[in-house]
Amino acid sequence: MTTLLVLLLLAMGVYCVAVLEAWITSGRFRLMAPACSAIALLGRESVVPRKPDLLFFEMAPIVLLVAALLAAAVIPLSPDLIITDLATGALFLNAALAYVLVALIMAGWGPNGAYAMIGGWRFLGQLVAYAMLIVMPITAVAMRAESLATTDIVISQSGLWNVFYQPLGFVLFFLAAMGLAFLPPFDLPIAKGELASGVEAEYSGVRLAVFRLGRMVLIVTLAAATVTFYLGGWQGPSLPPWLWSAIKILLVTAAMLLVGRYVPRIREAHLLAWCWKFGIPLALLNIFIVGILLVVIP
Amino acid sequence: MITAQAIFIGFFGVAAVWFGIVVFRTFSMVRSAIALLFSQTALGAMFLTMQAEFLGVLQIMMMATEMSIMAFFMVMFMMDPGGMGKMEMTHQKRLSWIVGLVSFTGAVAIAVFIDWGPVATTVAETAQQTEALGLELLGRSMLVFEMAGVTILTAMIAATSVAIPPIPSPEKIHKDKV
Repeated sequence: MTTLLVLLLLAMGVYCVAVLEAWITSGRFRLMAPACSAIALLGRESVVPRKPDLLFFEMAPIVLLVAALLAAAVIPLSPDLIITDLATGALFLNAALAYVLVALIMAGWGPNGAYAMIGGWRFLGQLVAYAMLIVMPITAVAMRAESLATTDIVISQSGLWNVFYQPLGFVLFFLAAMGLAFLPPFDLPIAKGELASGVEAEYSGVRLAVFRLGRMVLIVTLAAATVTFYLGGWQGPSLPPWLWSAIKILLVTAAMLLVGRYVPRIREAHLLAWCWKFGIPLALLNIFIVGILLVVIP
Repeated sequence: MITAQAIFIGFFGVAAVWFGIVVFRTFSMVRSAIALLFSQTALGAMFLTMQAEFLGVLQIMMMATEMSIMAFFMVMFMMDPGGMGKMEMTHQKRLSWIVGLVSFTGAVAIAVFIDWGPVATTVAETAQQTEALGLELLGRSMLVFEMAGVTILTAMIAATSVAIPPIPSPEKIHKDKV
């Protein structure tokens, strides 16, 4: 029952994010736009390119969707509204999200097309940039909670949210999450305009619909992870806990999409250079500061 | 008595071996890397089945990243950088057979003849497992892990520097122009 409820909320969240994304990119608020797009995609022919690696081509959108759904399984929307409260929840989230990379490499490799392949390999380069900035801030969060369980992490923020306790970690995680969800300005594997949609280029019809659905679930999951790790999860006055989670997740998603709206796409080499030269030292500094804070203010 | 746990361990074990075989049966570098990834993922699933949650999740997470990075290095050294051409995944076949058989026999001998002690009847809580693992890594196993880590890092730096074409010095460019 809980699983069904979480999946239902996730589906609603995905729809809201699709509406938001269309609104932010096109400037027009159309409530039915994602539904119309989905119907159009499902009605179109799903073309298979010439000489593909069929196994990878078919599996990639499914792997992306499954990875995002598995990651969502450890996100608590309220104390009871969680699919599985693993003792290693934060680590499991990472493990599931690591397969986003595998999905994109498969999607890049599978169709036997140049743009897709460049997009896939680009995302692998992008991983080298963002991966540490996902893991290291989570380490600091787990240090404060003294647990990897996501519910414990939310409870540890009852006095003060992590966004105030470790703001540096929040900024790094927020940017890295955008990189993981390949949202603009980190949309290098898709890069419309220079790579003609990159990893999405050769997909059409129902396969493209599944791929886009997977990406939307991924965006919602990462926003939910940001809320869980830094914005006090379900905590808030008056309203029911699940509603607080939903509001916060939508706000974080809107913030992610808005950043992408106004910042130009970053170059791969610059992304790598900034992440390694500034991001990782800052993430280490964050761990150090949190360590000192935990000793000073137990 | 064969329990569901044993069946799952067996299943994931067979899957790990099968994907290991696929690594050498395919002609595509990327397929080979992904097969190795799924072989390691199956190992992670075996850990999970044995209720070693932290180790299992860690294995599944690390391998996805590591194998993808490995694919990156494989592509770096390939003759066609995109990796679109077919490649033979085996080489030095005779030596490989000998090394493989000796290693396999050694592994089986260790598994069969070593005294594993009494079979554990209870499993510690996940948090306790993680704590025990942390103490082990920062205790007597620290040197081994640090050595392995530094060795891998050195190999990666060396491999990267070999893959980069040498940049001619400004003096040489000037000389060539003259």
